[in-house]
Amino acid sequence: LVEKTTKKIKHISWKKQKQLDIHQALNSDPVDIETLRKAAVSEGGLLTDDVRRKVWPKLLSVNVFDLENHKDFNQVLLDVRRSMRRFPRGIDERAVLQEQLIDIILDVLRRNPQLHYYQGYHDIVVTFLLVVGERVAIAMVEKLSNHHLRLDFMDPTMDSTKHILNYLMPLLEQVDSELHDFMLRAEVGTIFALSWLITWYGHVLSDFRHVLRLYDFFLASHPLMAVYFAAVIVLHREREVKSSECDMASVHHLLSQIPQDLPYEQLIARAQSLFTCHPPAELAHSAALITISTFQAFQMSTQQQRPDSVLRREVVNRHDARLSRGAPPSRAAHQLVKAAVWGLSATLGVAALAVAQTAMDWAPDFLLQLF
Amino acid sequence: MAYAYLFKYIIIGDTGVGKSCLLLQFTDKRFQPVHDLTIGVEFGARMITIDGKQIKLQIWDTAGQESFRSITRSYYRGAAGALLVYDITRRDTFNHLTTWLEDARQHSNSNMVIMLIGNKSDLESRREVKKEEGEAFAREHGLIFMETSAKTASNVEEAFINTAKEIYEKIQEGVFDINNEANGIKIGPQHAATNSSLAGGQGGQQAGGGCC
Repeated sequence: LVEKTTKKIKHISWKKQKQLDIHQALNSDPVDIETLRKAAVSEGGLLTDDVRRKVWPKLLSVNVFDLENHKDFNQVLLDVRRSMRRFPRGIDERAVLQEQLIDIILDVLRRNPQLHYYQGYHDIVVTFLLVVGERVAIAMVEKLSNHHLRLDFMDPTMDSTKHILNYLMPLLEQVDSELHDFMLRAEVGTIFALSWLITWYGHVLSDFRHVLRLYDFFLASHPLMAVYFAAVIVLHREREVKSSECDMASVHHLLSQIPQDLPYEQLIARAQSLFTCHPPAELAHSAALITISTFQAFQMSTQQQRPDSVLRREVVNRHDARLSRGAPPSRAAHQLVKAAVWGLSATLGVAALAVAQTAMDWAPDFLLQLF
Repeated sequence: MAYAYLFKYIIIGDTGVGKSCLLLQFTDKRFQPVHDLTIGVEFGARMITIDGKQIKLQIWDTAGQESFRSITRSYYRGAAGALLVYDITRRDTFNHLTTWLEDARQHSNSNMVIMLIGNKSDLESRREVKKEEGEAFAREHGLIFMETSAKTASNVEEAFINTAKEIYEKIQEGVFDINNEANGIKIGPQHAATNSSLAGGQGGQQAGGGCC
């Protein structure tokens, strides 16, 4: 037994020593590439993915900081690293997804300098990453950012967002003036709903299934629907609110803690009928919102789409035409395909797992599409 | 629970310096190594005792990102105390203190007690800001200063409680008008019974759908 234990200790210390050597080699200036190469070749290789993420770029002489040149890079990094809750549990899988999430966000921001990153944006993007994978997520998030989140959330300041929140109280007044007056007396304001709105509830709901259900709803609805849904949640909790102490702290605290067992289907139906009865135009006395004015054009464009089968055929035809003309595919496109293949294979396991865990009946379809 | 006074605090400072972790350590006596970020404003409360009197601290924890500034600003008003936090392992969070301070002074009442906090004192090996620099900044701007660790809980109690003591002294000296709630101080309810609820039995149109 003693022998076994000492052997085990020896085994651990051998790995520890190797990790220490690698750490030192990475930190010496210039980087001690010979030691890194030896470590990669010798028994056990680079040991963990965590080490690999640092050493692999060095083996190919890639400066990862060149890729990080964006004013919001540090902020994005900080936010993604600490939002563990939104990712599947496996540590290595999570690390890969987190890197992808950072990439998607920075990619969209780089190509759209008019958009400004805000804390909570990553909560929206991660939902798309987990469902459709990196490649499609980039395209979807870009469109969503320009049409739904637009400058109203993605301004340098949140002033326009405050405007959007201003719809909440008039909505409550239409349905339950007593509740409205109570909240007015408490001077609670509407900031309790800020994180709901700017993350489409991704930041505040712990069950991924519920987030997905709401994204179904919001993707098919007017950008202000998230505010209507906020109103419906408050209305749903009318009794609790009215029986709390009538001061800002109590009501803010109560409302900002969303109960996890909300009757989502019922609330969605209610939000929709609230929207029909009191459309934004009726409430928009003063708020002139950029998103809203461009949304009509966006919605028109959504009506001109072809089914996937036709779109796929078009792609094949285009490809054939190009081949017959002998034109080489553009370098950028080629790189994109490579990146997508890598991204997809890396995401696949985790994304599928995440979806399988939460939406069993839907997973097979999702997997079939990928293979 | 009955209290003699209620003090309203606000916690401000750059993103990721540990504002929410300080609050969690103070209210719940625990530390989360990876704490999810704060969007908008969150809220915590705890009872303390000063001079034999029960004092309720109502603490508003704010988002650190610049773009939320216009929202968090409205919470300065009506705060009796502010914890201005930087991270001793990140020089930039120290460099931004002047902006934070200007912002706080401009939007709060002039008597607000401000405590400067250099957080993450457990990470000595990664320190970028010397303790003396924090002390000098505090002296120059008339703030109280402390280095804390939300992780080990070192000085966390002290930071919140010393701020309260300072406010309490100001009340005794008559600096604060305690009848004006805009100062962030409230006198406790005279009667032990808490406010009776206003819950009306009739309650609006509850049923799902049909608002038309």
